[in-house]
Amino acid sequence: MTDMTPQTVVPAAGVPGQTADVEAGSSSVRPLVEISDLRMFFPITQGILISRHVGDVRAVDGISLSIQRGETVGLVGESGCGKSTVGRTILRLYQPTGGRIVFDGQDITTAGGASLRAVRRRMQMIFQDPYASLNPRMTAEGIVSEPLEIHGVGVKSERHQRVRDLLATVGLDPSYGDRFPHEFSGGQRQRIGVARALALHPDLIVADEPISALDVSIQAQIINLLERLQGEFGLTYLFIAHDLSVVRHISDRIAVMYLGRIVETAGSRELYERPLHPYAVALLSAVPIPDPSVEGRRRRIILTGDVPSPSNPPSGCHFHTRCWLRERLGNPDRCVAEDPALRPMSSGHEVACHFAEEVDGSAEQVQVTGRSPGAGGVAAAAGPAAPAPYAPSGSPPRPRDRH
Amino acid sequence: MSLLSIRDLVVRFRTHDGTVYAVNGVSFDLDEGETLGLVGESGCGKSVTNLALMRLLPRPAGHIDGGKVVFGGEDLLTLDESEMRELRGKEIAMIFQDPMTSLNPVLTVQEQMVETIQAHRRVSKSEARARTLELLGMVGIPQPEARLKNFPHQFSGGMRQRVMIAMALALEPKLLIADEPTTALDVTIQAQVLELLSRLAAEHGTAVILITHDLGVVAGMTQRINVMYAGYIVEAATTKDLFARPRHPYTVGLLHSIPRLDAQPGEPLIPIEGAPPDLRYAPVGCPFAPRCAWRVDRCWQEMPSLEPIDPGYEVVTTGPQATHRAACWNPPMSGEVVAAHPLRPGFEPAAPPAQVGS
Repeated sequence: MTDMTPQTVVPAAGVPGQTADVEAGSSSVRPLVEISDLRMFFPITQGILISRHVGDVRAVDGISLSIQRGETVGLVGESGCGKSTVGRTILRLYQPTGGRIVFDGQDITTAGGASLRAVRRRMQMIFQDPYASLNPRMTAEGIVSEPLEIHGVGVKSERHQRVRDLLATVGLDPSYGDRFPHEFSGGQRQRIGVARALALHPDLIVADEPISALDVSIQAQIINLLERLQGEFGLTYLFIAHDLSVVRHISDRIAVMYLGRIVETAGSRELYERPLHPYAVALLSAVPIPDPSVEGRRRRIILTGDVPSPSNPPSGCHFHTRCWLRERLGNPDRCVAEDPALRPMSSGHEVACHFAEEVDGSAEQVQVTGRSPGAGGVAAAAGPAAPAPYAPSGSPPRPRDRH
Repeated sequence: MSLLSIRDLVVRFRTHDGTVYAVNGVSFDLDEGETLGLVGESGCGKSVTNLALMRLLPRPAGHIDGGKVVFGGEDLLTLDESEMRELRGKEIAMIFQDPMTSLNPVLTVQEQMVETIQAHRRVSKSEARARTLELLGMVGIPQPEARLKNFPHQFSGGMRQRVMIAMALALEPKLLIADEPTTALDVTIQAQVLELLSRLAAEHGTAVILITHDLGVVAGMTQRINVMYAGYIVEAATTKDLFARPRHPYTVGLLHSIPRLDAQPGEPLIPIEGAPPDLRYAPVGCPFAPRCAWRVDRCWQEMPSLEPIDPGYEVVTTGPQATHRAACWNPPMSGEVVAAHPLRPGFEPAAPPAQVGS
């Protein structure tokens, strides 16, 4: 996990008229965010009067990731894998234990005071729970206007107008500004959260499980809103979620985390058509698909046991205690002894597994992706078989359009 | 005769904010050994329906205002509390979303499981303990003997849910109600628990009502599905029929609004606009009308009943031949199901009537 060459250079989305002051002349190739060997440990202490440091929860244990301008990077993994901690550490809500965070060319790993405030203005967060993340005693206008006040943007009347514009942008009636959070439904509250995140024209938005707390029929509204806003404002998203179907839908590139590490990273399409880490394959196979005919054919890889504790991760490859592939290969010692580094398998596709070649073309991979065995190469995989009757069948894969 | 038969169940909550119209006349049947999915979003009445049939509605707010719940030939709504207590756990068992709040945190797993068994069976403590051990092994808890003396907090989420399943199956109930059993779990653990649940239900011939908001979970787990919205069943069908030919605009909307893992890349999501209704207002007309692209004038005034989508056949309510029924005045046609909006030339959703009833 050393070389950090940008894997896919996403053409920088033109940002007409937005955020002109700060990054005028910034290079379009330079990633917006680049983290290398990031580590975030939370100390475990014992004792009341004299607290002794007895261990660490290794929430993030040496990860490297770069996010290009205008791109959506999905971060998936199960609870406790450290994905939220990555998001929060990038925003410098935590002081990282080690590693480096570079935001638009500026090292912010140890930034503080005014320089941190200046950078924070350019990165915002959308939280999971729209009930907990809005102050119940503030009106919608107060909530959306607060970042503007903190950063001293405009005078009162200008801020008022800006809030009205923002509420309209996220699909709320501007006259709702004087209402309190409890007067809104869950979906509307999340829209307020999105408006607040947009207030300062940020470059980066970290969306931490932004739809998990919403009703099923509302989730698509927020996903579509986020996609539309990305097109309008040239936003860059770090989209953190446990739901692989949602992450696949919204992301250009996906990083799969397990116990504080990135185990696989690839373009969104590539990852779902050719997962190469045994954990990624198992994760994909575990996602239920809302179609009984597909579900009837699929065989799940049932991972045994639970995720080990991040305070005492297994030696070598963190996943070896639950790995289906290792069992098949006769439990090679290498998995226990040697920690696999991320290594490139094809352009933009990196995986941290000693035996990733064994995954490629395995029955499990074929099962999960619906790819015919021996089809080889990603281009040959034309996508999953048998679209459901209600899906617009036969429509060719289209490039993502964001309008 | 079916194992469970619910007819016109009506549940209301009387709160400080007024009456909540939680369940507005729900009817369905369930055969022995069948697995039925109840699907809907939060507040659609799916959990309340089942709490009502267990007679576990929160008191004093919750009231059953009408209907019948016939289980094994007996109307549960006429039983007294001691008869109900005899039945709960033994005949009908329930598992909940959050196992931590449904297990007693200050008792060991052994204590609470032995208590459950001894409450319903005349067995000695050692027999109950032996049964406990057998059950924990059955649900796949590693080293069950060592785990007997553990407290719930010493188990992980998935293991706790296994303990819950073991407890629920301890008395070999005829019906198991699983209320969002995997919503709090990670996807790999969810796969473990669902597999366990379906295997055990099949082995024991237990009928299961699976309550969930996740269409993916019901697709693989159930034989039949009832889709609920705002306290009504709006569509009922076998799982196969429901996904192959969804007929209610809400079902159609749901299927289009969730991203599928196997979708074509770039396929847009078509959300259902608006939000679910506020149940504090008495329902007038179809509750989905304000969000529906197919609504006609009648939808604003009258709630349609659940009718077969292919008229002329006798209605079968259970089993693999169950009739596909939907409650809709103007159901989408098959091309419209694919397009997710009406395709009839010149069709406009009916405007809400001005000032209903005032």
